Amino acid sequence: MLNAILAIDGPQRRPVAEEPHASPDEQRQECLARAASYRLLGGVFAEEPGRAFLQALRNEETLAALAEAGVRFDADFTATDPDTLLDRLSCEYTDLFVVSGGFPPVESVRLTGRYQQEPHHLVKQTYRRLGFEVVKGRFEVFPDQLGVELLFVAALLERCAAALESGDAQQFRRLDKEIKRFWTQHLGKWVRGYCRLVERATEHSFYREMARYLNAFAEEEIAAMGLRIDDADQGRMVVPKQEVSVAVNPDEPVCNGCTPGRPDGAPARASVHPLQDLR
Amino acid sequence: METPKVTRRTFLKVSAGTTAAIAAAPSLVKAMENDLGGKDFDPVSGAERQAIPVNCHVCNIQDGAIAYVENGRVVKLEGNPEHVSTRGRLCAKGNAGMWYSYDPDRILYPLKRVGARGEGKWQRISWDEALTEVAAKLDAALKEDPNTILVKKGRDRSGGAWGRFMNTLGSATVLNHTSVCESSKKIGMEPTWGPDIETPDFANTKYVLNFGSNILEAAYFHNPLSQRITEGRVDNHMKIVTFDVRVSNTAGFSDEWIPVFPGTDGAVALAMGHVILRDNLQDSDFIETWTNVTVDALKAHYKQYTPEWAEKISGVPAGTIERIAREFATTKPATLFTYRGPCKHLYGSYNERSCMMLPIMTGNVEKQGGYCLPRGMGWPQPNPEPPGPKHPSYLSTPPDYPLAAHKVSHLVPFWIADGKQKVNVYFTYQDNPVYTNPGARVVWGKLFRDEKLIPYYVAMSSHMGEETALADLILPDCPYLERWEPESMPNSLWPWLGIRQPVHKSLGESRENRVMLRDIIHKLDPDGARGMKKFWDFKDGEDYMRHHFDNVPGLKEAGGLDFLKKHGVWPIYGKLDPKSGKVTDKTGREIKAEYGLYMKELSATDMAGAAVDGKGVISKNGKAIGVRRGGKNVVGFPTGNRLINIRVDQWAEYGFNPMPTFKRIPWHESMKEDEMILSTFKLNVHKQSRTAAVKWLAEIAHSNPAWMNPATAKKLGVKTGDLVRIETAVGHLVTKAYVTEGIHPKVISIPTAFGHWEYGRLATLKLKEKKGDWSHGADDPDLNNVWWDDRGVHPNDIIPVVADPIGGSQGWFDTVAKVTKAGPNDKYGDSQGDWDKHYAAYKETMRYAYTGDLHRKMHPEMAAWAGPESVKPKAGGGH
Repeated sequence: MLNAILAIDGPQRRPVAEEPHASPDEQRQECLARAASYRLLGGVFAEEPGRAFLQALRNEETLAALAEAGVRFDADFTATDPDTLLDRLSCEYTDLFVVSGGFPPVESVRLTGRYQQEPHHLVKQTYRRLGFEVVKGRFEVFPDQLGVELLFVAALLERCAAALESGDAQQFRRLDKEIKRFWTQHLGKWVRGYCRLVERATEHSFYREMARYLNAFAEEEIAAMGLRIDDADQGRMVVPKQEVSVAVNPDEPVCNGCTPGRPDGAPARASVHPLQDLR
Repeated sequence: METPKVTRRTFLKVSAGTTAAIAAAPSLVKAMENDLGGKDFDPVSGAERQAIPVNCHVCNIQDGAIAYVENGRVVKLEGNPEHVSTRGRLCAKGNAGMWYSYDPDRILYPLKRVGARGEGKWQRISWDEALTEVAAKLDAALKEDPNTILVKKGRDRSGGAWGRFMNTLGSATVLNHTSVCESSKKIGMEPTWGPDIETPDFANTKYVLNFGSNILEAAYFHNPLSQRITEGRVDNHMKIVTFDVRVSNTAGFSDEWIPVFPGTDGAVALAMGHVILRDNLQDSDFIETWTNVTVDALKAHYKQYTPEWAEKISGVPAGTIERIAREFATTKPATLFTYRGPCKHLYGSYNERSCMMLPIMTGNVEKQGGYCLPRGMGWPQPNPEPPGPKHPSYLSTPPDYPLAAHKVSHLVPFWIADGKQKVNVYFTYQDNPVYTNPGARVVWGKLFRDEKLIPYYVAMSSHMGEETALADLILPDCPYLERWEPESMPNSLWPWLGIRQPVHKSLGESRENRVMLRDIIHKLDPDGARGMKKFWDFKDGEDYMRHHFDNVPGLKEAGGLDFLKKHGVWPIYGKLDPKSGKVTDKTGREIKAEYGLYMKELSATDMAGAAVDGKGVISKNGKAIGVRRGGKNVVGFPTGNRLINIRVDQWAEYGFNPMPTFKRIPWHESMKEDEMILSTFKLNVHKQSRTAAVKWLAEIAHSNPAWMNPATAKKLGVKTGDLVRIETAVGHLVTKAYVTEGIHPKVISIPTAFGHWEYGRLATLKLKEKKGDWSHGADDPDLNNVWWDDRGVHPNDIIPVVADPIGGSQGWFDTVAKVTKAGPNDKYGDSQGDWDKHYAAYKETMRYAYTGDLHRKMHPEMAAWAGPESVKPKAGGGH
């Protein structure tokens, strides 16, 4: 089902222009391995986990592989009966990512505070330009949803692998640039800070560990691609008020309802607001 | 060559000395924001943005708006210059409407409760799962009794879809929010002259009496009437006098603000009527021709209402009443407007009638500059239509309130608790009684949490309001910019039809309400065997709208729905003049309204088969269709006898005074020296409950200190910003004081729309709490600037229910409160109410119903009434 989230047009093939530095097969294997990780993580965040997905994740081999990468689930994931776990994770997903007061895994919301803003349209344009469209899974999702963005990169990596297999180095390089561009313009801007938020907010080890894994994976990908991208999401818990720059004086009373400033006109003492982005 | 030396001094001199040259110089650049609108451009690319006309629905004034869409996103909202009522202007609320669509707290998927009610634990489910569950619950309820299916609607603008839904199910249990709004105004007006509202011709009048409405901020119809009242003031030099307990912006704009004790406007109006009739300043011809009483009878009746009598009750000096009465009666044309001020009291219906009598007795009705009937337009419903329910519902048509045709919905929790009617499935739509009703969370919160009283509760909502948070199932509704809806609102003297249309695809899996109602019916009756599906045979919202609009005479020829999709409104009366801001014809003259609607002659076709009785009433097929006056057959007023009923005989059947009268609120008479009246009011940037989540509006007004007169404050030892404790019969609230001369000394008043505990992170300021920091965007220029910490307080928990025994209105402004300086244990925002005390208030207010033990005591003038047993039950629930 997760594969159906992205419908992929057939890639345009072009003749090989030059050989990549590493052997094509090594590169192809790496692309496929990366794509698999993207698909795994995309599946975690695209929607509530399904029964088959959970079963596969709780497979001893998978758990061992994840443990090797430092992903260690608690008993709430490993020792809970499948029906309860399915239900519990469905509620946790809704609580974290769907319901009011949560934090939707949507780039527009993370970077602009609202749904369907600039990132939404930019990623949609990118998908269209490269021959993709977002299709419905269990639920309608936004094109700039975290799971969709990860699955999109997975699909590009699979195309990369296909290009390498057919000896189309030019196509490979073109797609590789697209992936870097997508990270620079989208994923890299928000995914790391967002993962730190998920890690802190969740009450279930599944999302905690997967968020940690995605964060580490993102750092590794960015480094491996040689990119320098500032994380705009940041996920800071507290921003000192002195960092706040607003058009009006925050200490000025409004409607006589707010705490008035000091009568002697002296600047208000610095206070700390539990708000991550009062800048 | 010497280089000019330019200092600030020299260029100021140069500019001062070259004014004429500057004026004559070519000007090739003009500010686009000074254009009238209708077009908008991307400031970077210069590309024209898509302009989609809609009717605004942030509040219910129904301003004509245009949504500018770029890349599938609304980037700006402004007024529709083709809309005759609002003429290209939108208020602050309308400009901020896109926040609803893109709010990160918006509900986008069906949610099923998984914890205890109100615990906040949800599971996202598919539409199919949600519809299957609702259908099963409805199916079980239908087997028991269709009336156990209840809907309580607030701002329902579905154009009849909800009525169709409930009729399809056969349930009569349809409740609304009107009793907490203006129902006693409606009930005061409807039996008197037909419609439930007036249209004052402010732009052309010379004198305005404003009783308790705040046109410039909040009242029906804020935007269009604000424009007209300003024109009247500026262009027509009219005088305006406002009676209010508080200096609202309208009172401040007025020539005179006359503070009046709460609930006594009716006494002042009656005393003014006394002066007019005593001094023979009435329009005798109008009274004798168009009403059901004689001048002599009216004079005799009004003799009792002297200015001195009114002064004792209202605090308005008798001399002021005398003067204003004479000014009003001798200045022509003159008009009057009321909104909630007079009617939201125990006997609000009496107050409203007393006020509207002034333009009636002075003959200012339906004249240019006068007090006009509302103008609206209708549209047909799709065929076939389901039949009505078979049995009346106690909750919808309570037998103790037979005259309250707009229902008494705010008493419903108590009636359900008393077991008056069983409820199996409860729907809410655009209605948040847990926040907006008297008793708020103490009463409605308790009701919704009780699974024995409300076994299954479905909220249809786009946002997690206080009521939605208590639901078993949430069906995600679309905000107004994503809905198809028909509109017409009598908000000016020019009737119009309009639409709301989706400006883009609905977000997530939200569905517009009429579509989800269809889907529920289709799930209940998939093959049509139950006879329900045939009433819901439409593809989508647009298809449903075609049934409404493609056959309206005139509109059909203009293009039907396609015309409305392009223009947003029909008809287009003329063009908006950029200089005057008025709608003008081809010659540049302002389009004039039609007056004297009641004198419109009946056609020969209308008269065919009609009969005229001895009083001139023209009847056809058992229904009065007009009245013969001066040898002409005219339509008259839309009442049962086509006249203005100064005497409402139906009221007398229930022991109410059929003539204009006033009843003082008994508990106001016995107030102690240290007691005050607690009232509430709205600000211009908020509506009742749904704007606190809109950043641009919340930034302007987010806290609501209690207004208090300096004399009162001095007695209490309170200054602005100090905490005060407000204690009523049902609970207490701790809030901040705002000391101002602009309020009656015996009144403490708190603006509403604040102090939310649900409605998203901005309304609750949860984004400033520890767990809320992760909840919004990092770069958002708006959410970054949430620089305030005060979300205000909500007074409704401590306001007890009061029901007007005639019109059913909540007595919002009847609450007696003791105000003291807050004590050491009082904290800002403390709010405590008690169900038992609210229940006692409900029992007390029922004593004033026509069946109650205080009714006769309150109506000694109706001593001849034979009592409640004498009333013959009316078919269909008593209405």
